[in-house]
Amino acid sequence: MKKIIGANELHQTMKLRQMGADIEVVHSRMCYVKFKINDIDLAYVYNINKKNEYFLERIKPYPLPLKAYKSEEDVVDVIAIDVEQFRNVCSSKNVNDFIEFLKQMKLTVNKFEDLILYYNVSKADINEFQDILSDLNKKIDQSKSESERLYFKKNPDFL
Amino acid sequence: MTLDHIILGIAIFSITYLLIVTEKFNRVAVAMTGAALMMFLSVEAQEKAIEHIDFNTIGILIGMMIVVNITRKSGIFEYLAIKSVKAVDGKPWGILVLFLIITAVASALLDNVTTILLIAPITLVITDTLKLNPIPFLVPEILMANIGGTATLIGDPPNIMIGSATGITFMDFVINLGPVVIVIFIVTLFLFKLIYKGCYTCEEAARLEILSLDENLAIKDSKLLKKSVVVLGFTMLGFMVHGKLGLESATIAISGAAILLFISKLDPEEIFVEIEWNTIFFFVSLFVLVGGLEEVGALDYLADQLVHVTHGNIIVLTFIVLFVSAIASAFLDNIPFVATMIPLLSKLGAISGGDMTSVWWALSLGACLGGNGTLIGASANVIVSGMLDKKGYKLSFGQYMKVGFPLMLISVTISAVYLGVFYI
Repeated sequence: MKKIIGANELHQTMKLRQMGADIEVVHSRMCYVKFKINDIDLAYVYNINKKNEYFLERIKPYPLPLKAYKSEEDVVDVIAIDVEQFRNVCSSKNVNDFIEFLKQMKLTVNKFEDLILYYNVSKADINEFQDILSDLNKKIDQSKSESERLYFKKNPDFL
Repeated sequence: MTLDHIILGIAIFSITYLLIVTEKFNRVAVAMTGAALMMFLSVEAQEKAIEHIDFNTIGILIGMMIVVNITRKSGIFEYLAIKSVKAVDGKPWGILVLFLIITAVASALLDNVTTILLIAPITLVITDTLKLNPIPFLVPEILMANIGGTATLIGDPPNIMIGSATGITFMDFVINLGPVVIVIFIVTLFLFKLIYKGCYTCEEAARLEILSLDENLAIKDSKLLKKSVVVLGFTMLGFMVHGKLGLESATIAISGAAILLFISKLDPEEIFVEIEWNTIFFFVSLFVLVGGLEEVGALDYLADQLVHVTHGNIIVLTFIVLFVSAIASAFLDNIPFVATMIPLLSKLGAISGGDMTSVWWALSLGACLGGNGTLIGASANVIVSGMLDKKGYKLSFGQYMKVGFPLMLISVTISAVYLGVFYI
């Protein structure tokens, strides 16, 4: 198995180097972490390596990179908070709507990326997208000010 | 030693061997269980089991794995491959010929599985760019890896075991098997031109694209490349003169590994992770298993019977060993086969009192070349088949055998003629 992985690595890195990439190969272990909260699957993936960089990503119920951490304790803490927050959310009757909405948001970001990578989008359209985004952010702020805060152990990262 | 122990020893060995051959379970786990049972059931005392482990073979394997794993990090193989492509102006047949020369030479100096694992991914990049079917490139590479590995003591595990058990040196292998390997290489190369006629042409645009590859981008660490090449060179020199220096070949391999590990300044832990511990434990377990068979006297009995069948005639024995080991190695793992044959033939030599030189060459040629016969004959074949499968190309057992088996028979026949003319 190790041999095959080594051969695949050589095949890929040779192509990438010819494209001008600088590649550093680091031995690591991939950890898949799974929870089930009220029939909702919650899953994370992170890797452990000697460089003490832990790349944590939530993969279910919707994918979201959670950033790199310097120690595995940080990773466990972040997962613990995330799970706790999801437990709160899952007790809400709107949970499925939230998850569906966030999946749609992720799809919208992907569609927007495809749009700018594959098409020459006009300045007018981009301005219109910015207006829509600005309205959405205003709505989020408004909703925040009108809603009861449920979680206090940690402050929101972006809100 | 009681009769119970004799029956037990033969039963443990036979069942273990059968389970390894059928490949229903992991071969290392099976071999380790068999070896443990030999000791646990007192067929073979632990002290005796340790005595049976050939630490010279283990030392060569570990030493060379370290050297190769450090060297490959430098990017030397990708560099050589791109240089070769440019040397033949991107023409597919020329690329194949140079790649086969690199494969055969590298396989003689490294081990053939490692060689295939280095050359096959590079070949896939080249055939992708040339928009050609990789099978007419990779099948010849498999065969040439096994052929090239036959030429030296370190080229293929059976040779490492034979050299270690008999005291045959690196240069003895090169001088005695080198010439026949070169002949087999040339004949096989010529036959590939006929077998895969029409498969080595590409479109002009693809040829120009392959010429745009930059060999300098392939070098990952130029300082490491220089250090690796120097140490690899001195290690090879050490192998050439180890007999004259009165040093075991494992001492050379381990010394090369230690020096390269020291001067490369790489983290030893990162390198040791790359060592194929599976292979190492498989060898250790096999030595213990065969040792158990030896302890109960089964090998003495078999050697007696073989002397009886061949009337102690070394000529007959040479040809039997050559063809039987070739056919056996085409379908079975040649490592356990050779591990069993070595003590058996040593005992036979002691009983008959004849010169066993030609028999050892026959065992080496048969076991190494036999692996070319089928898709499961050697690890290199299985690995390439898996890599092709992932790329969407199917190399079936029958498809491979149609090419590999006749070519294997031709190479073994050439070996038989060579042994007949020069050694009998």
